[in-house]
Amino acid sequence: MAHQAHSYHLVDPSPWPIFGAIAALLTTSGLIMWFHYNSTYLLTAGLLSMALVMLQWWRDIIRESTFQGHHTPTVQKGLRYGMILFITSEAFFFLGFFWAFFHSSLAPTPELGGLWPPTGIYPLNPLEVPLLNTAILLASGVTVTWAHHSITEGNRKQATQALFLTILLGFYFTLLQAMEYHEASFSIADGVYGSTFFVATGFHGLHVIIGSTFLTVCLLRLIKFHFTSNHHFGFEAAAWYWHFVDVIWLFLYMSIYWWGS
Amino acid sequence: QGLKPVVSTESPPLIFGTTAKLATDLPADASFLGKNKVPDLQKLFQKADGLPVHLKRGVPDKLLYRTTMALTIGGTIYCLIALYMASQPRNP
Repeated sequence: MAHQAHSYHLVDPSPWPIFGAIAALLTTSGLIMWFHYNSTYLLTAGLLSMALVMLQWWRDIIRESTFQGHHTPTVQKGLRYGMILFITSEAFFFLGFFWAFFHSSLAPTPELGGLWPPTGIYPLNPLEVPLLNTAILLASGVTVTWAHHSITEGNRKQATQALFLTILLGFYFTLLQAMEYHEASFSIADGVYGSTFFVATGFHGLHVIIGSTFLTVCLLRLIKFHFTSNHHFGFEAAAWYWHFVDVIWLFLYMSIYWWGS
Repeated sequence: QGLKPVVSTESPPLIFGTTAKLATDLPADASFLGKNKVPDLQKLFQKADGLPVHLKRGVPDKLLYRTTMALTIGGTIYCLIALYMASQPRNP
């Protein structure tokens, strides 16, 4: 069997990229069928195939790294660049929604009553549940860092506890936010206030759920001995993503919840 | 270090480097599923059977792959039919 003379990883042929692209096609066209023709079959097929592709693609990456040893330091460096670039792109994604919020709120039109919050909108009190949510996410940032230190120190029990606590805090945030959504006196249809509020916080909430899922996978891998004290990039990537989600919340809290009330 | 294609008969340290502290070196914690199955999985996935990584585990991999393929190919056909129908002019 030939040995490679470089430290990169040339992967086995894989069907997941093309299947992933098809899943994106089915999901987008499924949305159209749902919006315009009231049919959800395509959308269901799209979301299901997306989930299957993600599961198998990432499962294969774990196989290639933890079980086959392909993730040399060179490969890991590439993965680090990749994750940083991805998170940067997500930052730009949220930047757009913040732009929209400030566009409407810095110069409120006469139709809104010439003020912000617009006439008739009673915003959520930023010193109640939103402040609690801020404390929860900040605490989860501490616990995930604690988990990281425990991993590098080889302390399996503490790492598991800290990571579990992080995930629990993430779920608590999601639960509280869902309750807030239910209790709010305004909806997404209530003018530009409703649109900017629910789209920005809604996408943030989706990212909290994604981050919590990523952390949960890391917890399972931690329990199954996948990580070593100096090679645990999957966990680091999840921690970076989680800190990013926390920072976005802080901006949301300061601009939309606090300044915008 | 590059790829090590041959199954290592020694313990895992060869793959991750000798300076790493392994989880197996740590005191066992009775509160979790304690047995470390990683060395066995490493042996399984490094078998020189020519199988690509997405089918390396055998039957469960094949089932999942075929289900995904059926869903995506079937969905694409349905998508094309839906697109054809949607492009037909409709009278209000």
